[in-house]
Amino acid sequence: MSYQARRIDDEPAVTDLRNRTLSKLPGDFSRLVFLASTRDYNTGQYYHDGLAFHFSEKIASQALGKCHKEIFDRLVYCTLEELIEELRSYISSTDEKTEDVLKSWKQLESYRVTIPSECDELAVGLFVSNVKMALAILQTRQKPASQDEQSA
Amino acid sequence: MSQLLPYVGLGLLFLVVLGLWVRQSFVTRAGRAELLVPRQHRSGVGRAAPLRDLGERIFGPEDWDFVSRDTSSEIQRMFQRERTILALAWLRRTRMRTSQVMRAHVVAARQSEDLQLATEIRLALSYLLFLILCDFLIGLIWLRGPVRTRRIVRQGFHWAAGLRATFEQLMAIVDPANRRALDVGFNQGTAQS
Repeated sequence: MSYQARRIDDEPAVTDLRNRTLSKLPGDFSRLVFLASTRDYNTGQYYHDGLAFHFSEKIASQALGKCHKEIFDRLVYCTLEELIEELRSYISSTDEKTEDVLKSWKQLESYRVTIPSECDELAVGLFVSNVKMALAILQTRQKPASQDEQSA
Repeated sequence: MSQLLPYVGLGLLFLVVLGLWVRQSFVTRAGRAELLVPRQHRSGVGRAAPLRDLGERIFGPEDWDFVSRDTSSEIQRMFQRERTILALAWLRRTRMRTSQVMRAHVVAARQSEDLQLATEIRLALSYLLFLILCDFLIGLIWLRGPVRTRRIVRQGFHWAAGLRATFEQLMAIVDPANRRALDVGFNQGTAQS
């Protein structure tokens, strides 16, 4: 009963978030990074001014958390090939150089902050492992490209 | 030594008969294993995550097919290392959770006045076969990795899924409360006790 009530409560906020914000982002990895960035690292609560204005802070936080978990689950279950495409699409949406992003993500393991709280341990393990693999594969693909640029 | 042969033969015959007995309930309930088959991948922002078993995802062939086709040997070795860790973690967790549910069931069964002996024996046998298979797969993957042994591991994984389905079915008959714990436990992070 309480779950049903909660689901009904945050559903308009979830739909609003999907339609107005998430649909404009290029791919699930970008959505994951965006949603993780709305989370306060100290409290684990999500904040989004626009959504909180239309609904309430609590419902906005709930909706952001729900979408975060949903997108994380999708990325856990997508194939490695699809994940590489997602990651590539996210990196190209930033204004940074691909090799710099790849190097920094590999060193800092920044992708760990994109994991929602209260996740299945093994799902987290699979996600981290696949992102590591995807970064390594993108780096090997990046090397010949940058060598070509230098020789030209 | 030769005096022991009839007893060994009888013991083996007994095990085969028991195995077939358990298998019978597995075959008639084979539809349960369909739950482990992946759903179609849908596109769009609001699509729900496909309901799949993590084991199916870890042992699935698609990633290795891609890695072996499109990447260097160094990446392939890295993939094998990563998947070995995940495969062992999944098997150990599945084994542990099944054992937890079985232990809870044993406690409940001791207090039960309406014990169905035949179903209890089937349950114990499917549990035993499941444990043997899990340990065999853990040993095999630990020794040779999930990629080199992928055919046998995939087959073993499907057998384990089938045995788990049989175990769930039998548990639903004799102990519905603990059966629900199995549902919640297999694909979520919180261990059921």
